[in-house]
Amino acid sequence: MLDFFLNFLGTTGKKFITFVSNIGHFFIFFANTIYWIIRPPWYFKRILQQIIDIGYFSLPVVGLTTFFSGMVLALQTYNGFNEINSETTVARIVLTSIIRELGPVLTGLMVAGRIGAKMAAEIATMKVTEQIDALETLGTRPMQYLIAPKIIAALICIPLLVLIGNTIGILGGYVIAIYKLNFNPSMYIYATMEYLQLIDIIQGTVKAAVFGIIISMVSCYFGFNATKGAEGVGFATTSSVVISSVMILTSTYVITALFFG
Amino acid sequence: MEKKLEKKIIIKVSEVSKSFNNNVVLKDINFQLLEGESLAIIGESGSGKSVLLKNIIGLLLPDKGSIQINDNEMVHLNKKLKEKILLDLGITFQHGALFDSLKVWENIIFKIANKEKINTKQGKQIALSIIEDLGLQPNILDLYPSEISGGMQKRVAIARAICGNPKILLFDEPTSGLDPVTGSLIDKLIKKAVSRIGGSAITITHDMASVCRIADKVILIDKQTISWSGTPKQMFDSENEKIQKFIKTINSDFFLND
Repeated sequence: MLDFFLNFLGTTGKKFITFVSNIGHFFIFFANTIYWIIRPPWYFKRILQQIIDIGYFSLPVVGLTTFFSGMVLALQTYNGFNEINSETTVARIVLTSIIRELGPVLTGLMVAGRIGAKMAAEIATMKVTEQIDALETLGTRPMQYLIAPKIIAALICIPLLVLIGNTIGILGGYVIAIYKLNFNPSMYIYATMEYLQLIDIIQGTVKAAVFGIIISMVSCYFGFNATKGAEGVGFATTSSVVISSVMILTSTYVITALFFG
Repeated sequence: MEKKLEKKIIIKVSEVSKSFNNNVVLKDINFQLLEGESLAIIGESGSGKSVLLKNIIGLLLPDKGSIQINDNEMVHLNKKLKEKILLDLGITFQHGALFDSLKVWENIIFKIANKEKINTKQGKQIALSIIEDLGLQPNILDLYPSEISGGMQKRVAIARAICGNPKILLFDEPTSGLDPVTGSLIDKLIKKAVSRIGGSAITITHDMASVCRIADKVILIDKQTISWSGTPKQMFDSENEKIQKFIKTINSDFFLND
């Protein structure tokens, strides 16, 4: 019995130490990345390539997700509130939900799945095939050449994707409100514009920027620290998507509480 | 009496030890690479050959000992100076380590393109001048590494290593995973590359035919230490059990062809 208890304590202690050490490593990685983002030279061509990859190629998936979310939201809100002044209520709920929460969170999750996984897999493959070692021996700093452009691009693209996603989401709500629920278009647009608040846009953009940092940092961290060949690449990819998603959902609450709590 | 000219020491490894989580991989390794010399490091898989190479080029830090390249102490040297010294080294990795996202010509000129601005036309011309010597066709320049064969990838990796004319070349298992014909071709290319730049080379391998073709001196790493060293000719007279085992692996075709 005592042996079991000691073993349990030993295993738990070891896991806790590993956990704390990993967090420490992550923050060292974070600080290092910031240092290499600020320091020249900047690889503008690589930043542009990443902007196209993260921003442009994520547009279809973000657009589709937010468009259908806006449509569902309008339909469900109407079903729940059809007794009372539904035109303004539907417009207001669609607008607020999309701008404050659904737009940033759905965009964040979609980008984590699409780009986060790609970043982690790409860097992890480079790590296990010694391409990162080769970079160092060729006089290039991997943090500056590989990681920094991805972080910069994510910081630029994800807020823009959220703004576009928000607009498409509101449009989705508008399409349902006008063509299915037969609302008056000018009344609906008027109600939407009336409830549009600058603070909501700022809050959504702040969230998007935070998600951009989370997705790119977490994915690059797991990719950069991958080991054990193909298994390591798989682990890095899965971990980056799961941890980014959990962090997105946790941080969205924290940011909402800071703005409106 | 004719006085023998002393050759310059290019790489000096003294008392180097390395372990990972209490697992000792290298223990008190000592050897020197002289100017113009081609040294082969042999040993079984997992004997620590690649770990030794990574210690030499600074990708790993030895637990103890000293590594000098051209009289510069590499262990604990600041990163900037280490990078400067590394620029005079040409290195190929076990699996080629070509950059997947770059075309063949971009891979080859990667190092020099970091130092100076080179446009596409100039870059391709530089790459072309190198690959012609290595028996590669110009039409591969615009392909990505995944679009060429394993043998070609190894040759492109050699081209990348010799681009910029470094004086020290380090090859990690350049013929592993290749058929004997391509392996023999790669060996010839390595010899050609070393003589082309007039430098010194270290080749890590467990291919004994390759050792006989390219090395002036051989060291065997076994049980974490250097258990034998000598010339390829001396290997055949050696009574060292491991050396004997390695010699038995040489294909009879090697003697017929060479």
